[in-house]
Amino acid sequence: MSIVVHVDLDAFYASVAQRDQPALRGQPVAIAHGGRRSVVLTASYEARPFGVHSAMPLYQALERCPQLVVVPPDFEAYKAASAGVFASVREVARAVERLSLDEAYLDLGEVTIGEATVVACALKARVRERTGLALSAGVASGKMVAKIASDDAKPDGLVVVALGCEAAYLAGKPVGRLWGVGPKTERRLRQLGIERVEQIAALSDERAAELFGRGGPAFRDLALGIDRRPVAEDDEVRSISSEETFEYDERSAATLLGVVRAQAAELEERLRKRELRAFTVGVKVKLADFSVLGRQTTLAQPTDRAAVIYGAAAHCLRRAGLNGRAVRLIGTRVASLVEHPPEQIPLL
Amino acid sequence: MKFTCSTKDIAQAVGAASKIINAHSTVPILSNVLLAAEAGRVTVRATDLELTLEHSFAAEVAESGSVTVPARLFAGYLGNLPVGVLELSGTPSRASVKCEKSNYDFLALPAEEYPPLPGGGKAAGWSISAKKFREGVNSVIFAASGEEARGAVLMGTLIEIQQQSLTLVATDGYRLAKWTTTLERAYDGAAKYIVPSRALAEVARNLGNAETVDVSVLGSNANQLAFNAGSTTIVVRLVDGQYPNYQQVIPPSFDRQISVSAAALLGSLRRAELVAGDRASMVKLNVTGQQLIITANSDVAGNAYEELEVEQSGEDITIAFNARYLVEILNHVDSPQAVMEFLGPLSPAAIRPLEPSPEGNQLYVLMPLRQ
Repeated sequence: MSIVVHVDLDAFYASVAQRDQPALRGQPVAIAHGGRRSVVLTASYEARPFGVHSAMPLYQALERCPQLVVVPPDFEAYKAASAGVFASVREVARAVERLSLDEAYLDLGEVTIGEATVVACALKARVRERTGLALSAGVASGKMVAKIASDDAKPDGLVVVALGCEAAYLAGKPVGRLWGVGPKTERRLRQLGIERVEQIAALSDERAAELFGRGGPAFRDLALGIDRRPVAEDDEVRSISSEETFEYDERSAATLLGVVRAQAAELEERLRKRELRAFTVGVKVKLADFSVLGRQTTLAQPTDRAAVIYGAAAHCLRRAGLNGRAVRLIGTRVASLVEHPPEQIPLL
Repeated sequence: MKFTCSTKDIAQAVGAASKIINAHSTVPILSNVLLAAEAGRVTVRATDLELTLEHSFAAEVAESGSVTVPARLFAGYLGNLPVGVLELSGTPSRASVKCEKSNYDFLALPAEEYPPLPGGGKAAGWSISAKKFREGVNSVIFAASGEEARGAVLMGTLIEIQQQSLTLVATDGYRLAKWTTTLERAYDGAAKYIVPSRALAEVARNLGNAETVDVSVLGSNANQLAFNAGSTTIVVRLVDGQYPNYQQVIPPSFDRQISVSAAALLGSLRRAELVAGDRASMVKLNVTGQQLIITANSDVAGNAYEELEVEQSGEDITIAFNARYLVEILNHVDSPQAVMEFLGPLSPAAIRPLEPSPEGNQLYVLMPLRQ
């Protein structure tokens, strides 16, 4: 059986800054662009006890922690640091699925969990020695459990989930830690009285299908720690989309725009998580007769902002000229993705 | 209607008109061109409702009247005729063409259904030499926004007239192009129009051999601009909206300046852009000791390093730009030497020709990239 390791650099941007500027060590550091609407990209571990975390507006972070040292991001330095880490990662793994500059899945091949643990320990030490950065790692039989384990290992730790112990490891955790459970699903589950992973693990096939649809039994298996998705070497994301099928065909332009607005917000979150920006925004509409319409538009500057995605998608939707026709499904998609494009300063 | 004309004249007029037809129009008559014959001239008109182009040529008119024919089809037919003489006779439902031994009937739509030109009388206008106008339009329109989602105003070009001075401005919110000239004859007062850049390109393309462009305001709400040049008239619907205050974003002065061979700089930037990557491409300019060093790098392509001799005044600077923007600007700088002016790595930079063209003054303002 293949063993998967999930690795994640701790407070990556902040750690690079603290590594390169000794004066920042031991200080609460936030990586953020200056400016009114700036958000915290990464907070150092020293800043976290103050309640400062990533995606928080900078002014709010400064209210919580007035002594916070704000450092502008230096993506060239992050790319260089990431390249160093991945060079070490590739030495030990059979396949590497890179998720972002600071996060990856490793397929170690047919090894025992003990051997995998030794490899992960050695990797942590090698990364520390070569790049001066702390890496947390999770070792397990599948990707999801490995990722949850590495989250538990932070900072600078290693958590190994022994074979056969996956379900027990997950049992007491909140359902929000499971893959595919966002805040919306979590709320819905809470209404059903489901708060911990073990409650999903205990569902029968029938009940799981009833609650979560056709994918229900597979979702229940995930809660049991059964996860056979392979580590995919070529995981270059080409586009991200969000779709919604209506229970009853929808004709109202206002409703469709409302759905697109929500999809834009979701895409913003997914782009930010992967540290990507999109040059292309498009909409896909499936009509009641199952014919599919698509429109897309290219932006002058890549974006990860919901408002910009929504504006472009709404424009595409107008161009599609639905004129009140019945719509079965609507989707918003972003493509032509770029990683950390330098930021074009606006003139106007 | 019935007229006889040269195949070359009509092919040219219909060919130009058919280019502005909107292929996706859902109104059938908008896919047609209108041919109107009267008093020794035939006028060909096409419109997409935003832009109307009219081109006329001399013909022997036997019976005046008008007819509309499918633009693309008719232009294709005319384009394949040999040089010679053609006779066209039209009815509301048919246009019959005879040329040597070729005889065609084209299905027509009634001419009275064709959208009329806006009325409302012509307001006092202004004139500009066709050469100047073409140069001005080509100097700025590339800088306008191409993103419909960001609105029609930024997709337009501002025409600003004050007495004897005419200014064209286009910006997409990141870079700005401005061109100023002096009119041969002063305009009485001041006026501002936002014209769709696409329409201005069409005007510049259709000036032909005309010496002068006469511009006048049409429409009951003064919302159309008519450009007359020789036998061509183009009427454009103006963009309704407030153009950004562009003067505010052009720094009044700069503290660092270089002068560099425009061709050498353009060559270096085009090469560096290849390495910098296709879209979010960053080039870094480092000015130090009478040298400009251009660098770019990407994970997939490698590293670029270019060194250019420059005349430098003021302090050294390192500044990053989107390579595409710089290349597009330098493609239009009309001078052997280009001047670049800076204030700081995060402040607007200006690019202009060292020796301005006799026709008008170019100025480009570009915001840098934050590294």
